[in-house]
Amino acid sequence: MTTAPAPATARTATASAPSLTSVFVRLKLSLLKNGLKQSGGRTAAYVTSIVLSVLFAAGMILGFLLLRGHTDAAVVTVLLTGVIALSWAVMPLFVPSGDETLDPSRLVMLPLRPQPLVRALLTASLVGVGPVLTLCLAVGAALALAHGAAGVVVAVLAVPLVVVVCVALSRAVAAANVRLLSSRKGRDLAVLSGLVIAVGMQLVNFGAQRLGRAGGVSSLEPAAQAVGWLPPASAISAIDAAGDGDYAVAAAKLLLSAVAVVLLVQWWQRSLVRLMVEPDGSTIGAASDAGAKDASSSSGRLGRLLPGGRTGTVMERSLRYIWRDPKTKAAWVTSLAIGLIVPIFNALQGTGSIYFACFASGMLGMLMYNQFGQDTSAFWMVMQTLATKADAYAELRARALALLVVTVPYTAVVTTVTAGILGQWDRLPGGLGVAYAVLGAMMAIGAVASARFPYSIPQEGYKNVAPGQGGIAWISIFGGMLAAVVLSAPVLGLMIFLHVADHQSQLWTLLPLGVLYGALMTWAGLKLAAPRVAKRLPEILAAVSKG
Amino acid sequence: MVPDQAFDGEFAAGGGAPESGTTPPAVQVEGLWKRFGQQIAVNGIDLVLPAGRFIGLVGPNGAGKTTTLSMITGLLRPDSGRIRVAGHDVWADPESVAQVKARIGILPEGLRLFERLSGRELLAYSGRLRGLPGAEVDKRAAQLLDVLDLAGSQHKLVVDYSTGMRKKIGLAAALLHNPEVLFLDEPFEGVDPVSAQTIRGVLERYTSSGATVVFSSHVMELVESLCDWVAVMAAGQIRAQGPLEQVRGDAPSLQAAFLELVGANGRDAGESLDWLGGGSAR
Repeated sequence: MTTAPAPATARTATASAPSLTSVFVRLKLSLLKNGLKQSGGRTAAYVTSIVLSVLFAAGMILGFLLLRGHTDAAVVTVLLTGVIALSWAVMPLFVPSGDETLDPSRLVMLPLRPQPLVRALLTASLVGVGPVLTLCLAVGAALALAHGAAGVVVAVLAVPLVVVVCVALSRAVAAANVRLLSSRKGRDLAVLSGLVIAVGMQLVNFGAQRLGRAGGVSSLEPAAQAVGWLPPASAISAIDAAGDGDYAVAAAKLLLSAVAVVLLVQWWQRSLVRLMVEPDGSTIGAASDAGAKDASSSSGRLGRLLPGGRTGTVMERSLRYIWRDPKTKAAWVTSLAIGLIVPIFNALQGTGSIYFACFASGMLGMLMYNQFGQDTSAFWMVMQTLATKADAYAELRARALALLVVTVPYTAVVTTVTAGILGQWDRLPGGLGVAYAVLGAMMAIGAVASARFPYSIPQEGYKNVAPGQGGIAWISIFGGMLAAVVLSAPVLGLMIFLHVADHQSQLWTLLPLGVLYGALMTWAGLKLAAPRVAKRLPEILAAVSKG
Repeated sequence: MVPDQAFDGEFAAGGGAPESGTTPPAVQVEGLWKRFGQQIAVNGIDLVLPAGRFIGLVGPNGAGKTTTLSMITGLLRPDSGRIRVAGHDVWADPESVAQVKARIGILPEGLRLFERLSGRELLAYSGRLRGLPGAEVDKRAAQLLDVLDLAGSQHKLVVDYSTGMRKKIGLAAALLHNPEVLFLDEPFEGVDPVSAQTIRGVLERYTSSGATVVFSSHVMELVESLCDWVAVMAAGQIRAQGPLEQVRGDAPSLQAAFLELVGANGRDAGESLDWLGGGSAR
């Protein structure tokens, strides 16, 4: 740098430019930090979720240590890794995940080459609670399995591989999913992601059931054998193989995971490049739908069936959004699919129960959560017409009604089909009653959670939740589900009592009781939520406008 | 600096508005404060905007225009202060809030619409939510779509609209219930000249019937040609308010008066950007 001064300045500029990867990692850290800074409540939620995660991770590692030396250690660890990988793949499609902090669509205008970009994004994705939890799992699995020097060497390679495969899998699936949602056909293909989730859940469920039946863990051995060849579980399986002296198998399994990383990153990169250069075509079909349906008047056939005033207006918009908004549609399809598949597959397997039909009502009831977050910042249009408790009640009631129009008959159909497959027609009224009680509880909690814990659902890109709001989303959903179980306890308790005390001929009483109880809960929840909505309008708008 | 000729609210109320004796001012703000963390966005402002005027709220980016308008229209809760719109308190009891919300129309900046509805559905939704009879909503919507030159795209989803079309459909939704006071945040930002002319025409017709328009902008030429009343904001404070001629004073244009009021004159890029220029990259 001692030559001519002019080129020297140019060169120092180049040399001192930080690497893209470190820029992204720092960007991610500051985004997380800034997301937290915005409100005290959110910080509390986030801290709570971190504390829970730490406790969970500690418990997990302890469990693995206890497993060490046990004959089934390999089966358990390999299958657990498989389940974790599956949940990483499914997560971006379904549950709110704060992991997609760095939205590539914001980087379109920067002169970044795909390879360094993907490398940097991947590294940034490794920062977060999820990857750390996965790391704990992988370390735990390695601790449970590693024997001898070879085992330790393979473990050292396998642990980071597992984490990277999981994260790369998640990002690749997310990118592909966004491509799907923003493609012309995407609106209709959103169905697909819902089905994938439902079937995946069912597979896990079958695994869990086999575990519970006679034979215990060892009956899962064939499954573990197969999963042991699938990345990233193959990396964990490699540790076991190395400990047993099967070096060739260990190397092959390790290599499989490494190849998986390369393939996943390539798939992700291809999706990313396409995403960044293609326009969003998801609405082209919908526009002509709207035109065709409503050519005569601005409120179409749907509008004429619905009541007047705010109730009908809000219901009409909510129902239209189920069909037209890709995110809303995907959420509905997922709920409808899981609600159907879980009870019916279980019934077909002979492991079912009429009460599994609660999955249908429970999953659909979850759609009541975060009602205003689903509006995004367009909530201001609602807000401009809301002032009193009565207005807020009418608004919430209309949204609940739109949901119930679909949910009530759907639950009835699912319960009836389940009863038919099980051949337990006599249990149908009781099952239906319990399902409706659960639905009512979910609606009630959903209404209150919508008022108390709104969070935004960003419309562009990957995320289901804005940075820093992940904690509040998780707590509101899972806390809400727990609360719903507690709320429906009287009906559930009666159901259990009737079974235990052998009063099964009285089970039919659950139908009127469940319906009444559910309706009462829904009404009470709406009544409780309405004044809170009316009082907190600006706060709700601020919460749902992030991202 | 320009002398404090139009500094306080008392003065503004008597500033020549023909109806000042009888009708309450369109907007009356006292001691309005808002801070976000460390930053004070609105620093204790007093503002009186007379009814029946075309009012421009001008100021540089970050002056607090959007924050002020959001608090006046009930979208953002103030830290302290009192706001009355058309004689009703914006942040008091629900009854008074309902009165305000029924009397105002707003077109916010940076907030979405229900974009998965078509333009026509959006108007139908918005009008019915406000409790107007369905037939009346449909009639008004058809006329607004026609006047705003959106009739051809009324069945297209709003998500596919251009910026200008979005502003126009937002304006239609804000006008549908015939509000007394219309608040528009940067209504001409990113709008092409043809759409801008359409919007102008509609607004001029609306104010000529006695209604009030309050709009924020940082395009002085536009404000000068449209407004008869101006409030100048900078760094969270009102620097001047009053009839256009008064705020402009002796300055050759509103632009010149504005630059002087916000104290931005004489700021030059100077020599600190000596690396900037065509030719070699980096």
